[in-house]
Amino acid sequence: MKKSQIKIKVNGEWHELTVPNKRTLLEVIREDLHFTGTKKMCDAGECGSCTVIMDGMVVNSCIVLAVDANGKEIATIESLSQIGTLHPIQEEFVTKGAIQCGFCTPGMILSAKALLDQNPNPTEMDVKKAIAGNFCRCTGYVRIVNAILSAAERLRSEKDERI
Amino acid sequence: MENFEYFEPKTLKEAVRLLVKYKKGAKLLAGGTDLVSEMKTGFVKPKCMINLKKIKGLDRISFSKKEGLTIGSLVTWTTILSSKPIRQYYPILREAASFIACPQIRNIATIGGNICHASPGADSAPALMIYEAQCVVAGPGRGRIIPVENIFTGVQKISLKEGEILTGFRLPPPDEETKGCYLKFAPRNAMGLPIVGVGVLIKASNRTFEDVRIALGAVAPTPIRARKAEGFLSGKPMDDDTVRKAAEEAVKESNPITDIRASREYRLGLVKELTYRAITLSISKNITLE
Repeated sequence: MKKSQIKIKVNGEWHELTVPNKRTLLEVIREDLHFTGTKKMCDAGECGSCTVIMDGMVVNSCIVLAVDANGKEIATIESLSQIGTLHPIQEEFVTKGAIQCGFCTPGMILSAKALLDQNPNPTEMDVKKAIAGNFCRCTGYVRIVNAILSAAERLRSEKDERI
Repeated sequence: MENFEYFEPKTLKEAVRLLVKYKKGAKLLAGGTDLVSEMKTGFVKPKCMINLKKIKGLDRISFSKKEGLTIGSLVTWTTILSSKPIRQYYPILREAASFIACPQIRNIATIGGNICHASPGADSAPALMIYEAQCVVAGPGRGRIIPVENIFTGVQKISLKEGEILTGFRLPPPDEETKGCYLKFAPRNAMGLPIVGVGVLIKASNRTFEDVRIALGAVAPTPIRARKAEGFLSGKPMDDDTVRKAAEEAVKESNPITDIRASREYRLGLVKELTYRAITLSISKNITLE
């Protein structure tokens, strides 16, 4: 049998699928589940455009086999905005001009999200290390780093207000 | 990418049985970051994939000052970076881990996979070699233990026999008097393979080198120990001239190729400079050169 049954939780919802063993997590996310916010670019684990958060950690979904993601929880860029409201990281990317062609943006934002979930008060170097696997070929890194730092600040103050 | 049969054995015995059955057509899946990329380019075409992740215990780290460190093959680089005993007692392994690729890769790529992929420039190799790590191997017969430097036989070639699986590494108890570092020269900080990598571990007293270990990556078909340079330093005074001469010995032991990343001559120049810097940096961590 060259097919397997898998069950994965994507953006809060469980999906059961039968997939060819060679199918990648990226192909399942984009082509079977139609979450096309996750981008396919180098398709070789080099560029980070296909970044998703798997069990709390960023991975390049193009080099994860779908069978190997069986039972895992995945968050894609679509999980961030809620009922038409952008996530603070997304808003800061927009207002700080951190998006040019936009192809690296979903991966960048998810790397930022994974960082801020673990470290709400990162230094500039922490941010640079967190996005080291996400390539922007428009070379807008300065604005991307600024957007993530100001998103961090906003998330911290919003948390303070809630307390 | 061609399709393949897929198995998730729950025990090592079952995994070995599958390896013996499918022979060269089988590939073991650990993190998969190298394997899946190489399947996409058609460089490897397994008929059967054996995922090791359902086998209990392969992703564990254990440490005691008396026994040393045990790391399972499936331990990821992210886990290594967050391990307290590694940070405290095997800091050069941590340093090497921090140079590997990027968070997305470190979150799933494993130490066993890095060694079995046997790239001459594997960042983990110099660190494991200077700590004189042993590979723990399971197989159809009795298991065996091999020094990590003996596992490499060529570019992407290892000495494991049919049906054998690398299950982990044992590092000897730490010597807290040693100092060392891993230096990597690459075109950029993230996602770069080393043009040359140098790992150094030094024990010294009374301004004299006692035990020095030097391992080099990306300068030969396999990672190597620079034993002539090590022997040259042993018993010699810790001065600048001695370190420069030792670095020249390390150059004589290197046999790099010219490829897309750098020429042979450039690499040899780097071996000289990086070996010098690695030794100097290591000893300056608490002693200054005369």
